[in-house]
Amino acid sequence: MSPMMQGIVTVFFGVGGCVAYFWLSNLALDKVFFPPRGPHAGRNINRANVIRPWLFLLPALSALGLYLMYPVVGSFVRSLHNRSGDEFVGFDNYSTMFADPGFQTAFTNNFLWILFVPAASTFFGLLVAQLTDQLKWGNIAKSLIFMPMAISFVGASLIWKFVYANNADVGLINAIRDMFGAGPIDVLQVGFWNNFFLMIILVWIQTGFAMVILSGALRGIPEETVEAAIIDGANPFQVFFKIKVPQIKGTITVVWTTITILVLKVFDIVYTMTGGNFGTDILPSYMMSYMFRDDGRATAVAFVIMLIVLPVMIWNIRQARAEMR
Amino acid sequence: MKRLALGGASALALFAGMAFADGHAPFVIGEGDFNWDSYQAFADANDLAGQTVDITGPWTGNEKEKVDKVFAFFTEATGATVNYSGSDSFEQDIVISTRSGSAPNLAVFPQPGLAADLASQGFLTPLADGTAEWVAENFAAGQSWVDLGTYTGKDGADALYGIFYRVDLKSLVWYSPDAFDEAGYDIPQSMEELKALTDQIVADGGTPWCIGLGSGAATGWPATDWVEDMMLRTQSPEDYDAWVSNELKFDDPKVIAAIEEFGYFARNDAYVDGGSSAVANTDFRESPAGLFAIPPACYMHRQASFIPAFFPEGTSIGTDADFFYFPAYADKDLGKPVLGAGTLFGITKPSDATTAFIEFLKTPIAHELWMAQGGFLTAHAGVNPATYADDSLRGQGDILRNATTFRFDASDLMPGEIGAGAFWTGMVDYSTGADAAEVAKGIQSRWDAMQ
Repeated sequence: MSPMMQGIVTVFFGVGGCVAYFWLSNLALDKVFFPPRGPHAGRNINRANVIRPWLFLLPALSALGLYLMYPVVGSFVRSLHNRSGDEFVGFDNYSTMFADPGFQTAFTNNFLWILFVPAASTFFGLLVAQLTDQLKWGNIAKSLIFMPMAISFVGASLIWKFVYANNADVGLINAIRDMFGAGPIDVLQVGFWNNFFLMIILVWIQTGFAMVILSGALRGIPEETVEAAIIDGANPFQVFFKIKVPQIKGTITVVWTTITILVLKVFDIVYTMTGGNFGTDILPSYMMSYMFRDDGRATAVAFVIMLIVLPVMIWNIRQARAEMR
Repeated sequence: MKRLALGGASALALFAGMAFADGHAPFVIGEGDFNWDSYQAFADANDLAGQTVDITGPWTGNEKEKVDKVFAFFTEATGATVNYSGSDSFEQDIVISTRSGSAPNLAVFPQPGLAADLASQGFLTPLADGTAEWVAENFAAGQSWVDLGTYTGKDGADALYGIFYRVDLKSLVWYSPDAFDEAGYDIPQSMEELKALTDQIVADGGTPWCIGLGSGAATGWPATDWVEDMMLRTQSPEDYDAWVSNELKFDDPKVIAAIEEFGYFARNDAYVDGGSSAVANTDFRESPAGLFAIPPACYMHRQASFIPAFFPEGTSIGTDADFFYFPAYADKDLGKPVLGAGTLFGITKPSDATTAFIEFLKTPIAHELWMAQGGFLTAHAGVNPATYADDSLRGQGDILRNATTFRFDASDLMPGEIGAGAFWTGMVDYSTGADAAEVAKGIQSRWDAMQ
């Protein structure tokens, strides 16, 4: 069967299957189980209405269970077994992991990432959103800043590899050093600071995202509040920090947490730029070095990452909901 | 691809560049320096008309074209059809197909580790009796090749499961003959001379070496080749084998000494282009460029036989760039050890035609047909070196044939977690200033954690 035909058949069965499921299950509910007739007609109608939402939710819930809950529980169980998965070792994987200096480095670095990247991206995004708001060519500036969003992490890393190149003819940083007569250095090998050179790449990508969301929020601020503040003699800084920012706090939190969740998943930048060498490992890249080799250890790392993400995620969803209201 | 026209092979080499649409072989039977007798004898002995041989392997693109031309002669000789399919994810594919019972007849393994795994699970069939003796007799450093193809089967018995076809050579030092002539340097014949030359170049105000370990996520692997070569030049082959199987611990003084031998070159600012801090992050593909700079940024580059593919555009091997054998110590009496890698054929689904195909791989002609197309080295001692596509390959072939000891890339034989993980990162740490003993201890503890 040609791929084209396969696609058409899949779409047909997929859509048809969904329609058939809802139609047939409701039919069965109304005609077979609780028919609105006979001595218990009223009770049946009530019961059918209690069950109906669950019928509609069932496909989504089962998909969530199969693709989300089962892997989470499965991963946890897997992390309690040895490397080949045939022997129960309890929390051994976790204790060896926490004692491993490699893990400690990755954990510390990841902490730096969480502190720096969301803060910097949100700050720059907010700054750009505010500054470009009144400009004629503001939209062009916004488009330019938003563009890196369209680049994959690996692509962005390759671009920045040139910026950081250990060569005054290629690398921007070394070209600047060269102007002042300093010799070339490999910035990716400079302990501790090399982490920030990697973070800048993600900030560069994410600033556009923060800017777009926050710029929408700034536009949504009622004009009256700003006017009132100006009439009361507030300077532009006071208007921005005391009037505007408090009113979009919710949105800032959502942007912040969304980027934080992303930071905990990104391993491509570290993988492409340094391969986790020179003390730049972060948890996801540390996990990669164990994956398919010692799945007990790898799932243990994955679980730690999940535990860190979870509170941020809950906070994020809560804030997003509050925004909706 | 540059083709060098050489002697009798020239006409054939020209033909080799042309596609042959109607199944006609590019080489003409009976012409050139080839062992056509071995082909004729094989053709007379085998008639497999109507049978097919399915083969999967890692060769794709240009390499697939070359190997298909070799297989065409098997078809010509026996009448059996060969279906070869190459895949970039061969390692995963073969595991899946053998487990699901849809295995091809033959699989071409890029390294012995995977073949050993499949043999232990009962997915490979041992080669015919007598093959091991034949390989030992007819391959240079024959016993090494037998040992590399011998695994423990599911029944617990050791048998020969793989026969090698195509070898990569790693113990090579590339240099620019022009630069050497201009400075008046001679090719060093021993490690002592190599070290003396290194110091001589520094004394003359030059930089002797270009070393680059950068390779994206695989950063560090070129250093493992250095250490393996140094292991073979400072310890016995038995010690090397024990190191591969971890009977000799990674933090054994012998291994630490080999790591420090690499450090002797790589961690000396005066010895390396860009200083020792440039080693870890210079991409291995860009590293040899320094040989061709004017004035030379470096004079020597230790790297495997594939590296000319990354030389600057228009570099001709033999005139602009050449190589010499990475020499052994004169005072250590370890012979001429050679480090390399290679691909091996294993039987995943036996059949008569498959058995005949293994016989075909024993004939010199099966090797010569690819040798003449370039990018192929062999340890088969019965081939005619004149059929190599160019002088450079012929020189590498000679190194292989004169090897007293051949050892396979240790990091390829070690468990992936070490050979493609801890060993790489450990070497990066070492080249950026970590202590050799500490690094070795870290790699060993990772190995211990796997038990």
